[in-house]
This record gives sequence, C-alpha cells and structure tokens, in this order.
Amino acid sequence: MTGAAAGPAASGIRFDRVSVAYGGNTVLDRLDLTVEPGEVMALLGPSGSGKTTALRAVAGFVRPASGRVYLGDRDVTDLPPHRRGIGMVVQQYALFPHMRVRDNVAFGLKARKVYKTETATRVADALELVGMSAYATRYPRELSGGQQQRVAIARALAVRPGVLLLDEPLSALDAQLRSGMLAELARLHRELPDVSILYVTHDQVEALTLADRIAVIDQARLQDCGTPQELYRSPRTEFTASFVGNANLLPVTVGSGTVAFAGRDLELFTTDATAGATATLCVRPHLVGLGDGPNALTGTVTEVQWRGSTHRLYVDIGGHRVKADLRELREPPALGQKVTLHFAPEDAVLLPAVDQSAPEAVTATGGAHG
Amino acid sequence: MLVHSRAGKWGTWALFLLLFVPLFAVPLLVIVAASFSTNWSGAFPSGPTAGNYTAATSGDSLQALTTSLVTALCASLLALALGTWAALAAASLRKPGKRLLDALFMLPVAVPSVVVGLAVLVAFSKPPLLLNGTRWIVILAHTVLVTAFAYQSVAAAIRRLDPMYEQAAASLGARPAHVLWRIKLPLLLPSLTAAAGLCFALSMGELSATMMLYPPDWTPLPVQIFAATDRGSLFTGAAVSVVLMGTTLLVLLAVSRIRTRASYR
Amino acid sequence: MASAVTTTSRGQGRGRAGWVWALPPVAVLAVVLLYPLALVVQQSVTPDEGSTSLTPYADVFASESFRSALGTTVWLAVGSTVGCLVLGFALALVIAFVPFPGGKAVAKFIDVFLSFPSFLITLALLFIYGTVGMANGVWTDATGASEGPFHFLTTPWGVLLAEITYFTPFVMRPLLAAFSQLDTAQLEVASSLGARPARIVRKVILPEALPALAAGGSLVLVMCLNEFGIVLFTGAKDVTTLPMLVYGKAILESDYPAACVVAVVNIALSVGLYTLYRTVSRRVGA
Repeated sequence: MTGAAAGPAASGIRFDRVSVAYGGNTVLDRLDLTVEPGEVMALLGPSGSGKTTALRAVAGFVRPASGRVYLGDRDVTDLPPHRRGIGMVVQQYALFPHMRVRDNVAFGLKARKVYKTETATRVADALELVGMSAYATRYPRELSGGQQQRVAIARALAVRPGVLLLDEPLSALDAQLRSGMLAELARLHRELPDVSILYVTHDQVEALTLADRIAVIDQARLQDCGTPQELYRSPRTEFTASFVGNANLLPVTVGSGTVAFAGRDLELFTTDATAGATATLCVRPHLVGLGDGPNALTGTVTEVQWRGSTHRLYVDIGGHRVKADLRELREPPALGQKVTLHFAPEDAVLLPAVDQSAPEAVTATGGAHG
Repeated sequence: MLVHSRAGKWGTWALFLLLFVPLFAVPLLVIVAASFSTNWSGAFPSGPTAGNYTAATSGDSLQALTTSLVTALCASLLALALGTWAALAAASLRKPGKRLLDALFMLPVAVPSVVVGLAVLVAFSKPPLLLNGTRWIVILAHTVLVTAFAYQSVAAAIRRLDPMYEQAAASLGARPAHVLWRIKLPLLLPSLTAAAGLCFALSMGELSATMMLYPPDWTPLPVQIFAATDRGSLFTGAAVSVVLMGTTLLVLLAVSRIRTRASYR
Repeated sequence: MASAVTTTSRGQGRGRAGWVWALPPVAVLAVVLLYPLALVVQQSVTPDEGSTSLTPYADVFASESFRSALGTTVWLAVGSTVGCLVLGFALALVIAFVPFPGGKAVAKFIDVFLSFPSFLITLALLFIYGTVGMANGVWTDATGASEGPFHFLTTPWGVLLAEITYFTPFVMRPLLAAFSQLDTAQLEVASSLGARPARIVRKVILPEALPALAAGGSLVLVMCLNEFGIVLFTGAKDVTTLPMLVYGKAILESDYPAACVVAVVNIALSVGLYTLYRTVSRRVGA
C-alpha cells in the first residue's frame, strides 16, 4: 500500500471553520465540527442546507474557500481526493457499470497496488461482510437497488478506510428496504468500531437510529449538535425542534416560575429565563394529552387526521395551532368541537425567542451539549 | 396523433411516399440498378451485366478501394486519437478555454473542404515538410477534416458522462491516470467506436479536398468514380459507387456491433 | 493525460495543468490546419514572391467570373436551405406525428443516407435526368421527338435539386430529435380542444421546432456554401461556385494567389455563418 493513501490510522474528521462558496454564494458557513474516531456523526438538514457540501469537502470534491479539513491529525485540505484514504458511498451508488461486482470491490485495492492474493481475500471479506458473496461475478445492472447499495458499501470498505462518508445512502431505496438497510448499517458499524462515519441525510429517523451524534445544518450553518436524545428532548433552537420531531412551537412570555401563553399561565421548569422576556415553548406532539391535567389548554379542533395507530389533532388555541398525537381514539372529536389538551411541565422545553438576525454559528467541537 | 381520420392518414402517407421515395430512395436504387446495366435510355435499364463489377473490382478500381480503405482507416484512427485527447483536455478546462478548443477543433467543419485541401497543398508543398506527391498528404488532409467530427462526438459523450463515476474512483484512491484508463475510457468506448465509424464513413466519401491534392499513385474511390463518370463511363462509375457504399455500410455495421457489445458488457 | 482529466467539481485540478494537456492536440492542429490556413491568407496578399499588396483582391473582385460565382454560391445555398427546411419539416412531421409501420426504418435509412458522399446524388440524377437518361428516354419513346425536355441538370437548378435531396436529412435529424422531446399529450389536448391539424402544427409544433430548424438550417447553409462534389459531378460549365472557382484557379489554371483570394472570401463567408450557427444553437441549447 502506498504511504499517501493511508489506511485506518487516519481516523476522525475535523472541520476547522470551513466555508464553501459557489460563485459568491456561501453554501457552507464557517463549519466547526469534530467527528471522533469510531463515531457515527449524522449531518441532518433539509435539501440545499449545505450538508452534502460538507461531506464533499471531506472527500475533496469541493475546495473550501477558507478553513481547514483534518482527517486524524492530517490536514487534507490541499490533498486531491485519491490521496485522502476515505471510503465514500453516494445516493446513486456509482458502481462502475463495465465491471463485475468483484472488480468493483477490488478497484480501490488495485488502485493502491495491493498484492493480488491479498486483494482476493479482502474482496471476499468485504463481500462477505455485506452478504453479497454469491453475486461476485454479476454486473451491477443485474442487481437490485438494495444489492447495489451493499456492493457500494463493500467497495468503500475494502480499502479499509479510517473514515466512511455516506451521502444519503438510503434515499434511492423504497421504504421497506430502507429500514432493513438501516439495521444493516448499524450492524456494520458494530463490526467496524474504529471507522468514523459521516452520514448525510435529510431523514430524521435515519439520523436518530444510527448516529452517535447529530449535527443539524440549515442555511449553510451548523444549528445544533448533540446526541439524538439531547436534540430530541432538549433542542437548543427552534429549527432543531421543528426539524427533529416536528415539535409544537408556541410563543410565550416568561413570568416568575411560569410562562404566559394565550392568556393562561403554564408551569414549567424555567431555569434561566429572565422574567418578562419572550420565549418559545417547545412540546412534542406525542407528549400532549387529551382531557384535563396539568397545564390544560382549551381550544377548537380544526383538523383530525387518522394515521392508523394514532390520531393527530390540530387544535386552535388563542390563534395558535397546536398539534397533538394521540393513541388511536375510539371516538375522535368532531371538527369545531371544544377540547382540552394538557402536557406535563417536565415535557416542555423553553427556547430563546426567535432571533431573526442569524445567530453566530454554533460551535460543536467536543461531545458536550448545552 | 395529429391526423385522426382514416382518409387523412392515408392521404398524408401517400404524400409522404410521393416525396420521400423519388427524392431519397430512388437515387440510391438507380445507382444500384445502373451498376448492373450497360444502357439506360428508357424507363428501365437494359443490357443486364455483371461486367461493371469486373471493372470495379479489378485494376485501378481495386487499387482505389484499398487506397480508400487504408486512407480512411489511418485518418479515422488518427482523428480519433487527436479528437479524443483534445476533447478530454477541453473537458478539464474552464469555460473560456473550453470555448477556444471547441472553436479550434470545429474549424474544419466551417472551412470549405476544398480550401482545407488548398491550404494543406500550399503548406506541405515546400520544406520543411514536403509531403506533396505522397499518400501522406491525402491522409493528412482527411485526418484534419474528420477530426472535427471525432472531437464533436467525443465531447458530447464526455458531457453526458456522469461525474459520479470518476469521483467514486478517485475516492477509492485511484490516481487521475488510473481513472482515465480504467473508468473514463471504458465508459466512453461505445461513443468512441461510433465516432470512429462516422470518421471512417466521411473519409471514404471525401472528394473535395482529395481532388486538390491526390498524387497519381494514390487515388481514392471517390476520385476514381469521378474519373469514370468524367470520361463517360457512367455505368462503371455506378458499380464503383456501389462498392463504395457497400464497404462503408459493412464497416459501419461492424462498428455498431462492437458498440453494442461494449455497451452491454 | 493525467491531470487533464481531474474534473473535481469546481476550480480544483484545472488551470495551468489543464492547459499543459490541451497543448499537444492544439499544437498538432496548429501545424496541420492553422499554419496552412495562415499561409493561404498570406499568399492571397503576396502576388509574386514580392511585397504585400492587395492587388490580387482587386483583380479577383473585378473579375466577372468571381462575381457570378459569388452570386451563384449564395443563391444556391440560400435556395437549397429554404428547400431543405420546408421539405425536412414536412417529412419529419409525418414520421413523428402520423406514425406508420416502418417509420423507424425510414429514420434509420436517413442516418445511413447521411454517411454517403454527396456526389452520389448527382450521379443518380445523371441517370434519371441526364441527356441520355431515363426521363428523356421515356419522353422520346413516347413522343417520337429527337430529344427530351429535361436539360436542367447542367443548370443551377440541377445543383439545387441535388443539394436539397442530399441535405434535407441534415435538417430532419435534429427535427426528429426535437419532436421526440415534445409531449404528445400537448397535441392530444390541443385537438381535444378542437384545434385542426394545421393549427396544431402552427401553434404547438412549430414553436417547439424552431430551435432545431434554426440549428439545422444554418448548418445546411454552411454546408451548401462549401459543397463541391455535387457541382463537380454535374459537369456544367456555367455553374461555378466559390469552391469550384478555388479548384479551377488552383488545379486547372495553377493561379495560386487568385485561388487563395477566393479561398479567403469563402472562409470568411462560411466561418462567419458557422459562428452564427454555433451561437444560435448554443443559445437555444440544440
């Protein structure tokens, strides 16, 4: 193996104030992010948020306008892609159509001039790992989407990269295959505990399922970063709260020990909010209950959606739309009916009020959150 | 889908055949029919014979056929190499550079072939490169003329090539040369063979520039056909033309078979 | 060719290294085409091994043969182009929108037709309309006249017919490509709204076909300006186009400076039009 294309030794990824601009358009703004060795980091965000750009900056296909990219201790910002020693899987798999599965997987090893005998073993190992050994002599066009995906992963892993970049790897698969592959990826990560994985997705389920930590990116900036639990239970920004888990965001005024919403005082654990300030109350729809209870709010039902195992109610409370996901109701309320909703004080999070002027980019270099 | 009535459809098709058959099909059929005749001054050719083909496949004409084949083979391979290299290089340049290369390599399409012939004749009739009177000047002129078409088809194929393949290869650690050799060229192969076929056909039929500079011992088929018709042997000319068309078709057919195999591998 | 092919998405790997790889083919082209063309221009302004002068241009421009050749070339090219556009549009329309069995074969035939040299058409026309050809033979047999009525082959009309025949497929190919992109549902909706075929062609199909027509038309115009084989094969003394004049001056009269002058005029005409064609086709994305 050539020295330049180093193997597993280079582990972990570090973005050091990385900005990328296309023709004066900033698509990634001063990203600071560290992926620890062996960690799965999901880059979660809507399309066009800059998450794929961040991944491509690691791969070497986009050049940062400023900032540095490190793989392990190596500054790879100026290295061409083929000298970075990464593994990458993209949405459309990009299997070489003119090569058999076997040769696709061997490609990276041949490019590194690995010995023939070793190449053969490692190709066999990689195919074994993804359960595709039986298909070694097929051509990519003879495989289904899910099989092509496995081969693409085997191809990326055969070179034993320290870092695996996955760019929306499941979005070309149908829903059923997707959950199977998700489990498969989780298993792969357990079997390869030293590989750092950067996983770009717009799907919160994928991110929550797979990632050790999630970096939420929107409008070219890192909005939030933390473990799935942290992001889900106590998001720091409204964007995170609504993008991850689709939370209710209600404007409130902070009182002493309580907050005022639609003429009612609600109890919560307001720790650090100053009285009189405006803030946003964040409650997950599935933590909202129907009927009387703590923090009861009464309003008019504007829409009822039956989703099989749950009912979603949209209730108008003082001009604000509140969502509630309830276990399937025997007798769902009718449109226009008055209902009472409630939620437990500990299930609500208070976020600083909407600051329309963009905040300074969140820095998330360590594992710490909040 | 445009004309719905039965009568309207048949009327349209009749009109189509009335235009299409005399204009496009008849000329080629006439040449084939004439090549098997000795006389044609009525509705149908007369004096059926295969004698024209004896003339067309022996002596000067046979010589002309091999001349044309060798010229077309050399010219199309040279043009393919030059055009492919230029198109690959152009693809890696920024917009102004790409535009410049496009303009330069498409120039032979715009410049009249006769003028290309004249220019090559003027330039290579004197030292340092004295090629006039040799076969090389013909091959050179053909190469110049068909390079434009090779460049055009390869450049179009490169534009259609999804960059994800080369990026995947690069991410796996392949150096640019390795990517070119193992990924890009194999993926471009169908287009390359198509381009080669096009160049070959064009070179086989090239007359304008050839008339300006062919030496007496290197007369390609089109010149031979002109010489025959010019001295009044129209029927021999027809037979030689059929040989020209047949050879071109055969080569195109062979190329398209290679092409299908390459793209279904 | 290593670094020439590093198309990392933006900016990277381009620049100077790219030019290094572009240099060899450009150098070859410079030797085999650009330098010869430059010599042609140079010869056109140096009459007899002597000093630079524009007398060759004055002489050529003053000559009757040049002026008539220029006129003939331009009107033949324009006439052929118009003919090809009309005919090509009509034929492509039928193939694309009044489909019939064998339509695919016709389209394939057109592709093959394009790979044959142009002079074959003139050769065929000689058999059909030549002085001792088929049409005149039928006429003399039928009427007993000593000679038939078809003598147009040696006039510009013969060239026009041959050029329209040969170049029409060059218009049809981009048109068929454009038509295959057209959503046929549009036509069905239009006719369900009561539009007659003529109206659909004018209001729906023609606007969609305009880019392809413009691109195909300007390509054919350039090719007609440069056409040599068709004119050479008619053997008509009174049909002289610019390429014929270049050939005549250079090969038959060995008057190279004059040939070069005509060549420069021809280049200017064709390259100018070709540039226009590229601009048009780039703008319309054809």
